[in-house]
Amino acid sequence: MSRIVLALATLLGAASTGLSAPAPPPTPPPTAARAPAAIGCVDCHLALDDARVSPPARAFADDIHARSGFTCANCHGGDPRTEDMDLAHDPKKGFRGKPSPKDIPALCGKCHADAALMKQFNPSERVDQLAEYLTSGHGKALAHGDEAVATCISCHGAHGILPVKDSRSPVFPTRIAQTCNRCHGDPKLMAAHELPSDVYAKYSKSVHFAALNRKGDLSSPTCNSCHGNHGAAPPQVGSVANVCGTCHAVFAEQFKASPHQPAFADMGLPGCVTCHENHEIVQPSDAFLSTGKEGKCGACHEAGTEGARAAAAMYADILALKKETEAAKIALKREAEAGMLVAAAQFDLSRADEALTRARADVHLFQPYAVQQTVAGGLAIARTARARAARLQRERDFRRKGLLLSLALIGLSIAALIAKIRDLSRNRHS
Amino acid sequence: MSPCGGIRLSSGESDPRAPASALAWLKDRVGWDALAHLAAKKEVPIHRYTIFYYLGGMALFLFLVQVATGILLLLYYRPSASEAFESVQYIMAEVPFGWLIRSIHSWGANIFVGVVILHMVSVFFLKAYRAPRELTWITGAALLFLALGFGFSGYLLPWNTLAFFATKVGTDVPAQLPGFGPLISRILRGGSDVTGATLSRFYGIHVAILPALTTLLLGVHLVLVQQKGMSVPPSVLRQKPRAMKFVPEFLLRDMVGWLVAVALLAGLAAFQPWELGVKADPFAPAPAGIRPEWYFLSMFQLLKYLPSEIAGVPGELIGVLFFGALAAVLVFVPLLDRKASLGRPSPWWNRFAAVALAGALVLMFLALRLVPGATP
Repeated sequence: MSRIVLALATLLGAASTGLSAPAPPPTPPPTAARAPAAIGCVDCHLALDDARVSPPARAFADDIHARSGFTCANCHGGDPRTEDMDLAHDPKKGFRGKPSPKDIPALCGKCHADAALMKQFNPSERVDQLAEYLTSGHGKALAHGDEAVATCISCHGAHGILPVKDSRSPVFPTRIAQTCNRCHGDPKLMAAHELPSDVYAKYSKSVHFAALNRKGDLSSPTCNSCHGNHGAAPPQVGSVANVCGTCHAVFAEQFKASPHQPAFADMGLPGCVTCHENHEIVQPSDAFLSTGKEGKCGACHEAGTEGARAAAAMYADILALKKETEAAKIALKREAEAGMLVAAAQFDLSRADEALTRARADVHLFQPYAVQQTVAGGLAIARTARARAARLQRERDFRRKGLLLSLALIGLSIAALIAKIRDLSRNRHS
Repeated sequence: MSPCGGIRLSSGESDPRAPASALAWLKDRVGWDALAHLAAKKEVPIHRYTIFYYLGGMALFLFLVQVATGILLLLYYRPSASEAFESVQYIMAEVPFGWLIRSIHSWGANIFVGVVILHMVSVFFLKAYRAPRELTWITGAALLFLALGFGFSGYLLPWNTLAFFATKVGTDVPAQLPGFGPLISRILRGGSDVTGATLSRFYGIHVAILPALTTLLLGVHLVLVQQKGMSVPPSVLRQKPRAMKFVPEFLLRDMVGWLVAVALLAGLAAFQPWELGVKADPFAPAPAGIRPEWYFLSMFQLLKYLPSEIAGVPGELIGVLFFGALAAVLVFVPLLDRKASLGRPSPWWNRFAAVALAGALVLMFLALRLVPGATP
């Protein structure tokens, strides 16, 4: 009976705190040096075996805050030292129950925005999350009374909060997209906010998703890499190249120096995204420069125009280098399979691959001459490699011809020896 | 003193003051007549197993090929971890006919070990080790171990990945022995791990220590072969086989075999130059498919099959002791096989050798089958 009363009181307390304003001061958090107080809340809430209050108490055992010496009272208030339920849940002792969404950022920020406090746990811990959150789409909407937006607990969880570097954490790089998708994949919720709900579906087809989740490259971007995490907001049209440029620095610099940059700015086109998409960023292909189905340039540059001719010239140059490099690779592979030593030639040829990569980057200057110059360097390397393969083939032919001549001489010598042996055998028999 | 006061000359000695042709002078100084007499006297029995007599001469010829090509390689090879791989690369790619010399040396080494093994197998089954040729067999067995030592030490010299890691495994084997085992391993490696110091040691062993020991043992072996003559198998002894002169009949036949060997080596060098692989990186993880040369594969595979412990004794130690016991039996078989010494058949020894050979072949096949990228 007492358990039922205790549960009801807890729920009532939790419901009432949403209405209680202003919030009483929370129980002072422990410092890193001070031992935590006895955790009376957990003992009672676990003993209740109630589906609403027991799971949080269970989850809290693994929570980074519990491991750092924080207790339930640091967020929920109340007096954890008493066994009397009413006293423990007394609003006069700061009990505020379950915080409402609008209170959560400030509640978390009480500690996480306190540089002096955070320094006791991690000297390099950031303390600007709350400030950033207030500038985010989520924070602004919350400030306008929209409680159907993400707060701290939406991403980090409420009671089983794990360190960000823990791979089980919902904000670990490989899990962030799924965490965001819990809301951003909900068509009803997104429709209410006039946002698309297919972002995760598109992102999961991208090269970034593949690198992060299939190759395990944790440096590959996920949602927060472009949108920010606490200050999450869509990049503005003018800043797209800057956002992409944080990783793709060379492309961003080249784009800024290209004639496309002012043109895109005039037309209000969002830089990189115009050709590469935003979420469904597929593996770039040389055919982006073509006039075919995959071609991107044709969307703006009609056939016969200067832009179309420039695209065609760059495409032809890149294809020529690609073809020459492939031919050199095949020729060297053939010689390697024939047992010839090609390691040095193959190493030199790798510079043609580098030139091809550079030429593909130079495309972002959108000046055919720049691509042509890089391609010319690569072509020279690839042609040298092919010439070396041809020399190796001649050397191989020379060896085989030499072998034939040697075998002929050896054969003649063997024949002469056999003739002599027969002669000697005949003499022995006679 | 002679009556006229001069020095009396013994028969066969010429007066150093007497005018003579350069050839006659040379013949006199090297004792040509005695050698010619020995060669004229030496005969080789003719019977259905005569073909196996050629294996000894073939092994000797291939050893000389190794010596000649090895000396040529010495002119360009550099025995240090930073230069060994590049120097072999230079020999293969830049030195005129370097590819030929190196390929013949590498292929020749493998064929040499194969011929030595075949030579020993034929000698074993033809019971040529029986009295009075016990020492000839023992020196031959020691020469086989020296040939394996040449193979093991030479394998590391190009300093490629495969050889590096195979040497790590190989030099770890003696460490399993109690007492001096770890010390032997350290001495071989020149430290606790395979490094440039190991390469220097293996080079010294390959080009100085082993050739010196081989020259000595080979000399003893050849003198014993000349002294005791060619053994005739007990099964054909009663038939009183005919014989042919060693010079020129047998020697000419030997030369046919040697020319065939040269043709084979040249063909292999031209069509399948010995690969160089990738330079060893001591900090890289061991690649898949590391394996020793084919003649160590059976030992390598058996050690892999042994459990970590057998009746409380480390499995690898048991393996090493087993191979040690086999080697001891191989060396001392002429003393153990008393029936053969008495000229009687010793079928149990034949069965033992057949089982050991079959086991080695099966293990070798399994090693090639189970190593990724290798084909039997």
